This record gives sequence, C-alpha cells and structure tokens, in this order.
Amino acid sequence: MELFNQIISILADFTDPRKRVFIGYLFLSLFIAFVWLVVFKRTNTKIALIKIFDKKIFFSKSAQADYKIFIINRVISLFISPLLLTQIAIATGIYLLLHQQGYIQSGYFSSTSTSIVVLLFTLFMFFIDDFSKYLVHRWMHKFHFLWAIHKVHHSAETLTPLTVYRVHPLEGILYTLRSAVSQGLAISIFIFLFGSSVDLYTIVGVNVLVFIFHITGSNLRHSHISISYWSWLEYILISPAQHQLHHSIAKEHHDKNYGAALAVWDWIFGSLYLSDDTKDLKFGLKQSEASSTNLIDIYIRPFLDIKKIILKIFRVN
Amino acid sequence: MLRLKLKCTSFIVAVSMIGSSAIADGHSANYGPFPITLQSYSGEKNNSVSYTGQIARHVLHDSLKVLAGQGNGGENSIALEKEMLSYFSGSEKNKAIIAPGSKGEFVVKQTTLNEISSGKNIEGKFYNGSMMAWPGSMKGREVALQMIKKASIANKGVDAENGYNWPQLISKFTMGAMAYSQAVDNYLDEKLDAGTKPNNKPYKDGAPYTGKEHSWDEGFGYFGAAAHTLSLTADQAYGVAKRKDMASADANGDGVVDLKSEMIFGPAYYAAAFDRSGSKTTKYLHTIMQAYVDGRKVITSANGAILSDGERQMLKNHASTIESNWEMVLAEAVFKYAGSVYKDIVKMQEDGADQAKAYNAYVKHWGELKGFSMAIQSGRNNLGETADTMNDLILFGPVTLDNSYVTGVSSDGSFKRDRRMTWNDYQFNMLKVQKLMTDKFDIASLVNNKLGDIEALAGKLGIAESAETD
Repeated sequence: MELFNQIISILADFTDPRKRVFIGYLFLSLFIAFVWLVVFKRTNTKIALIKIFDKKIFFSKSAQADYKIFIINRVISLFISPLLLTQIAIATGIYLLLHQQGYIQSGYFSSTSTSIVVLLFTLFMFFIDDFSKYLVHRWMHKFHFLWAIHKVHHSAETLTPLTVYRVHPLEGILYTLRSAVSQGLAISIFIFLFGSSVDLYTIVGVNVLVFIFHITGSNLRHSHISISYWSWLEYILISPAQHQLHHSIAKEHHDKNYGAALAVWDWIFGSLYLSDDTKDLKFGLKQSEASSTNLIDIYIRPFLDIKKIILKIFRVN
Repeated sequence: MLRLKLKCTSFIVAVSMIGSSAIADGHSANYGPFPITLQSYSGEKNNSVSYTGQIARHVLHDSLKVLAGQGNGGENSIALEKEMLSYFSGSEKNKAIIAPGSKGEFVVKQTTLNEISSGKNIEGKFYNGSMMAWPGSMKGREVALQMIKKASIANKGVDAENGYNWPQLISKFTMGAMAYSQAVDNYLDEKLDAGTKPNNKPYKDGAPYTGKEHSWDEGFGYFGAAAHTLSLTADQAYGVAKRKDMASADANGDGVVDLKSEMIFGPAYYAAAFDRSGSKTTKYLHTIMQAYVDGRKVITSANGAILSDGERQMLKNHASTIESNWEMVLAEAVFKYAGSVYKDIVKMQEDGADQAKAYNAYVKHWGELKGFSMAIQSGRNNLGETADTMNDLILFGPVTLDNSYVTGVSSDGSFKRDRRMTWNDYQFNMLKVQKLMTDKFDIASLVNNKLGDIEALAGKLGIAESAETD
C-alpha cells in the first residue's frame, strides 16, 4: 500500500492542473498539434497521427532517459523540504523591510477596488514570474558553472513534453528559489500597498494567464511539432517553434529565445530569434560535453564540471 | 402483570442510578451545585458552591466601564470621579447595577449589587505590583486611580490629544489586574498550599463550605463563566455575553438571567470570542471551564477531609491548565488588537476617510491593545524580557496625528509627548508585537493576523511549475 501511494505521488503531476504535464493540457496539445498539421500544413489525417505519435521520438534513447529522469527527480523532490516556507520567509522579510522605508505608506492604495487589485496582482505575478524565468534561464547559459547544470536539459536529442523535467536536481533547486523570490516579491509588495484584498484570478487553482499558456499548447515547446506563430506575434509570445530553435545545435541559434511564455524579454534584451521552418533542427550536445542517455553521466558530470571550474578559478588566481 | 411490574422496577432503578451518579459527580456538566462536604457543618444549606463576591466585582467592572465614558470634558468631573470611585474603591451597599442591564428579551434578574453580594469593591483585589507598561513608574492601583481621574475630565472617555480611550484602558487592564491576577496569583496559587485554607475546616467560621472548596470557587468566579458554560458553544457563550441569546443564558428557564450563575463576563467572553473567530482551532473556553469543573470534583470527592498531596497535585495541574490557557487568551487579545491598530493606521490614510471617526477607532483599539498588554503583565508570571519588549513596541501612548506619542508624565501630572514616530514605523512595531505573541505564547486563533495575509496568498500561489524548466 505504501509503495502504491509512493507511485501515485510520483505520477501526481499528471493529475494536477497546476502542472504543465496535466493530462488535460497534454490532450489539448495533441489536439492543437493535429489541427496544426491537418489544417495549416495540409497533412493527411493518418500521416498527421503517425507524425504526432512518432515512435522514433517517444521511444528514442534520449526520450527513455527523460522518463527515467522524471521518476528519479520526483523521488528526489520528495526529500527536498517544502518550498512554501521559503516563499513565506522571503515575502515576510521584504514586507517587514518595506515598513522601514519612508517614501510610501503601508496600505497607500488600499482604497483601490478589489477587482482592480486582483487584476493587477494576477498580471504582475505572471509578468514577474515569466521575467524571472527569462533571467535565470539566460544566466544558465551565460555562466559556466550554471551551464554545467543546465546542459543536462540541453543534452536531450529528441524533445517530448516530459523533457521539461529533464533537469539536474540542482537546477530544480535553483528554479524553486527563483519561484520563491518572485512570488515573495509580488506578495509582499502587493500586500504592503493594497492590504489584504490582494488575490489572484485563477482557473482550476492556477493563475488564469498561466492556464491560458497551458491550454494553448505549452507542452508543444518540447515536442517535434514545430508550430510557429505570425512574425509579429513571435515578438510577444514564444511559439513552440521558437523554443525548439532554442534547443537547436546550429550555431546561429545558440543563446536565443530564453523566454518562457513571453518573447518580449528576448526582444528587449536582444536574444530574440523568430522561427524559421525552412530548416530542420537538430537537438542535443556533443558526447564530450554531455551524454543524452547515460544516467550516471547526467547526474554526476555537472558536479565534476563545477569542480573543474572552481579549480580553474583558484589556479588562475 | 408481572412483566409490567418488572418494567416499572427497571425504570425506577435506572432513574435512581442516573440520579445518584449525577449527585456523586456533582452534576458533571455544570459548575455546581456541589454537595456540602464539611463534616462540622450542621446548617440547612445543601450546596457548597459560592462565588457571588467575584460576580459582584465583574458587575462593578462592567458598571465602571460605562461610567468611564460619561465625562463631558470637565464640567461633571468631580461628581463623575466620585461615582466611579464608589464602584472601584467604595463598599457602600445597594449600589445600582449600571451594567449589565436588561436588553430587549434579555431580562437580567438583579438590578442592585446588593442582590448579588454586598460591600465588595475592585481596588482591594487589584494587582499592586509595579506597572512598567504605563508612564510614571507607578504601581497597579495607582495607575487605575489615575486612569479614573483622567476619565472623569475627558469627553466621553476619550483623550484624543494623547490618544487614550479610558473606558477601554480601565476595562481591559482590570480584566487582568483584578480577575486574572486574583485567580492565578492567589486563589489558584498560594491558597492551594497544604497549610492554607485546609479542606477539613470551614473557609470562615459558620460557612457551609471548606477552605479549599471556597478558594477554588472564588478562583472560578473570577473567570466570569456561567455555571452551565460546558453546555454552550463558543457562539452561544458570546451571544450570552452580548445579551443577545436569552435561550442560552436562561439555564433554569425561569425567564430571567441570574447574574450569579447564568451570565458570561469579560474573561470568559474573550475566551469564547477567540474560539469562535480567527483560525477556529482553539478551545480556550471549554478547556478552562472543564479544568475548573474537574478541579472542583477533586475537592468534592475528598468529602471534607484534608487533601492528600496527590489530590493537591491534581488541583495544581488543573490550575496550571487554567493559567496557561487564560494567559493565551490575553496574548490572543494583544495579538488581535495589534492587528486592529495596524489596520486602523491604513484606514486613516485612505482617501475620503472620515478622519475623526478613523482616529477614534484607532484610539479605541489602541486602548484595548494597551489594556490587554497590561493585563497579561498582572499575572503570577514575571514576563521579564517579553514584557519589556512588548512595552517598548506598544509605547506609553499611540502615535498621534502629529506623529508624537506619550513618553512620560510631567510634574503637573499631564502627559509629555516629546518624541515622534512615523506611521510605517509604528505599523512595523505592531507586526513585531504579533510576532512576539506567537513566538512567546502558544496561541493559535490569531485574529487580525497581518502576516497571515502573506501566508494565505503564498498558500494559494503554491509551488506550481517551480521545478519545470525551459
């Protein structure tokens, strides 16, 4: 029974609408992929279905590694202390600090109508969360010791929705901290300025904007279905094709499209690259840099690489 | 016929068994009546419970609070002070009950104090240790007398300039300095010792109760709970105290509320108030009440003999439960009103707010905060550093409209306000008061929890997507 409960908890993300791999979002992604291929790409229905459920993708050695990493990481995450405490601690700390500045009074905007406060908080939360994802993701590529961790994700040679979980546990911790800091900032600032009417517009327990992101095919970002948007829209929202391009090994695609939902950050900071369906993309990294399938290498190499980086720094100094 | 006889006999046996068990355990749900156990007693009475003196003091307190708000800015000050002192310090008989009085369907049985207990006052039972929370380095009774004097010259009990609401300050301070202090630092403390008020002798000559029975009853009386409190929910107890729930108050169904046994007064009212609000996870009212009832049963079961060490230890355990829960109720009150003061400061800044009304509410809540913070310092425990920190955070007076606050008393007896603090800083202090209460006392109701807003919102946001990476 205990074992059964453990297995259920490992698979809980598929039944949790707050998670990207929620079964409902996966089905919608399949539907969007099908419509894209049949309606926009004028593909025969049967061929479209064969392409969507491509065995070579879903049963590739890289994808199999994804599945194993998903389970191993879920087990590891059971041992990591709950994030919620960190979030509350950060929010409380900032909230208390805000009382010590003399520029703006606590509750300064407390007479604002609740619907406006909730709308503003919903938007702010989405923007700050998305921006922090962009920033941390950019750092993951720019700093050697962070790249040593993040390359686990880029070692995937085929992309499936579960590739989103193909991350080193250290990256999981960093992203958890990122989430805590962005939420802590938003919560403390809003409660300080607007009082206790602060709330979030949600659907099935998730920020309504994140919900929209999910039902419009967030799972296709990590897939072989290259859906692109109109060019003008790709300046605002990252299309699945743009994110697939981020995984491409082509030199011109390196360090592009760090954004999660919004493309505007890439546009502002000069890392935007519009999708280009004339090119076939190849994913993964050189064997000398990271293995796509060897689990021991996937979990251990980042530590060895970081050690090398640290030793190098000390040697130089 | 035989079957009918058997049925009747069984019924009579069952009824008599139920009846005898009810007498044996002293009517388990209610605080009394309890049988006479004093062996030397030969009088007519058959109930050993008596705590009318304490009920009289609750009534004196309630009446004093009403009087404290009746000043007209100085004109009636001499007469008003005299009147207030007659309730606080006097002992003349036949004083009218100013509060609690009848209200609509809620009909109170007594209209004069003499109908409850004659010749009682508050001052004689008022905490008289140092009260460092109040400016002027005075003792408890001096502080109360100063508050009464200041109330008599104030307009409707409010000193807006210094930010004092006298009825609230007097009332909340008294709830601790009289009721809490007397219960936990006297009747449930030294009077439980072996050599004091023994159980094989009358409390005083001619009394129908033993030394220990009456000590415990008086300790119960200060809590201000109705005898049938265990049969009431927190909501019902609250309704009784607010004089809104006649059905719950009138336990014997005689159509009137007997203040001596059916009313809920201050300390018990606040215990109920925190149980029915905030997190709704606390059971202060019933925990304290059950400890009182159980303690009384320990004494009753000794049947007039000297209590053994084991029995006294049981009593002390019940006393400890009462003390710790009562202290938590006071800490909950400090916590709640620190949150109110925080919110009132926000309201005062709001565009279009009725400034005078908002400031009045702020001063009222601050009076409750300060009064309860002084109440919790009037108990048996020396709160030491916790009290110092609490006093430093709450200050001698609230931050007033020009950001100054009371720092001491001048030689002419007026309050000095020679320091200033920003609203943000004072709100920060209120947050620290709430944190201090949760850190130092095991409180859980947490009404007006300002940091709780953060926890609630963080809980709603959850940790979705945190481990998902692109």
